[in-house]
Amino acid sequence: MTELERALVRLGGEIAFPPTPDVLAAVGDRLEQAAPVRRRRPSRRALVVAFVALALGAGAAMAVPAARTAILEFFGLRGATVTRVDTLPPVETRPEAPVTAAAELELGSPVPVEDGVVRVRWPYLVVPGALGPPDEAYYSSLLPDGKVSLVYEPGPGVPRSRYTGVGILVTEFRGDLAPGYVDKLVAGGTAIERLRIGRHRAIWLEGGPHFVAFRTPDGGFGEDVGRLAGNTLLVELGRLLVRIEGELERDRAAEIARSLPEP
Amino acid sequence: MGDRPLAEDDLVAQAKLGDTRAYGALIQEHQTIAFRTAYLITSSAADAEDAVQEGAVKAHRALGRFRTGKPFRPWFLAIVANEARNRRRSAGRRERLALRAAEDPLSGGAVPSPEAAMLEAEQRAELLAAVEGLREEDRLAIACRYFLGLSEEETAAALAWRRGTVKSRTSRALDRLRERMEGGV
Repeated sequence: MTELERALVRLGGEIAFPPTPDVLAAVGDRLEQAAPVRRRRPSRRALVVAFVALALGAGAAMAVPAARTAILEFFGLRGATVTRVDTLPPVETRPEAPVTAAAELELGSPVPVEDGVVRVRWPYLVVPGALGPPDEAYYSSLLPDGKVSLVYEPGPGVPRSRYTGVGILVTEFRGDLAPGYVDKLVAGGTAIERLRIGRHRAIWLEGGPHFVAFRTPDGGFGEDVGRLAGNTLLVELGRLLVRIEGELERDRAAEIARSLPEP
Repeated sequence: MGDRPLAEDDLVAQAKLGDTRAYGALIQEHQTIAFRTAYLITSSAADAEDAVQEGAVKAHRALGRFRTGKPFRPWFLAIVANEARNRRRSAGRRERLALRAAEDPLSGGAVPSPEAAMLEAEQRAELLAAVEGLREEDRLAIACRYFLGLSEEETAAALAWRRGTVKSRTSRALDRLRERMEGGV
């Protein structure tokens, strides 16, 4: 240990942290009431999935309350977290759903796509070569240093997503400036797989619908910022977090990710 | 033997069977380090308190997935730190962590002269200011490793980094601190 390290350790012993609260006094009742540890409840999960399916069938927009259930697994990338929970949060229907997919997905303001070029002054933009220029693009200043979304309409080999209403949705933002901006809640029926896209870390979510919630500017989760999502690939591309969502097979999603230019 | 405190593995095993007192003993053992880790992340005592409480409840519910024999602390810290991150304000609005040196630091030896004490106090303040001036990830690496005394594994768990990242960021942060201290302390 160097002299600097020793000085830091000494300094650490002199930091006046706030007094530690009595955790047990605060949560003792909740521990007594809680089911002790691992307890599979397939019947309840089946009910939730059935409810989700019903809600989807009605075409209703979803909102995710902040309430969460027990964490079973946790996966993290810079800019995104994926948490497997025993049950998805309760689903609420929102009768007055916005008309357009962009509004419903809260992508931000449209930016022009002219002559195959996305006209946005955002220096980090990467367009997947496998998809080419998007049909629409959006910019949101909700995040530090902004967020860009590329929308690809359904076409040959690109079915319309039940969850986004578009073909493929690519979202990009500075993962290093917005840790945990994308928060996914996954229950049974959705497979979570760690991947490598070249040298980049990635997480693939496939199977049943999962919740994706986007952090509000104050760091919390608003009532209306969550929605259901389908197959999704999250790629940590240097400082960027790129999210690719659509009715895609894993290999196709990975091919699209591999066609992203190196930042 | 009956008075001997139970080993952590025994507490975990009993807690898994539903013994909330055993689980409570685990939490009491680690609540201070968990709270301080959450405080470093959130820069708010209230948010840190919420994070530890929620983390304790969620860890209890997820205890069945915890592998007996593994150290409990990094696992618990990871859950609490995740709760802390969920409560943290977005980067653009986040206030700087305000660490305050204790007014009466522990003295490990002879009472220093007033001049020496003043010099030490100045050096501490200078070092503290240098740490606070680091970019966030560097500051968290330094704070977890040296202020809290977390191991690389625990720091990796708490900050959701890879262990190699903890090592490289800590090394980089130390280099930057040396530069700021103009030749070291």
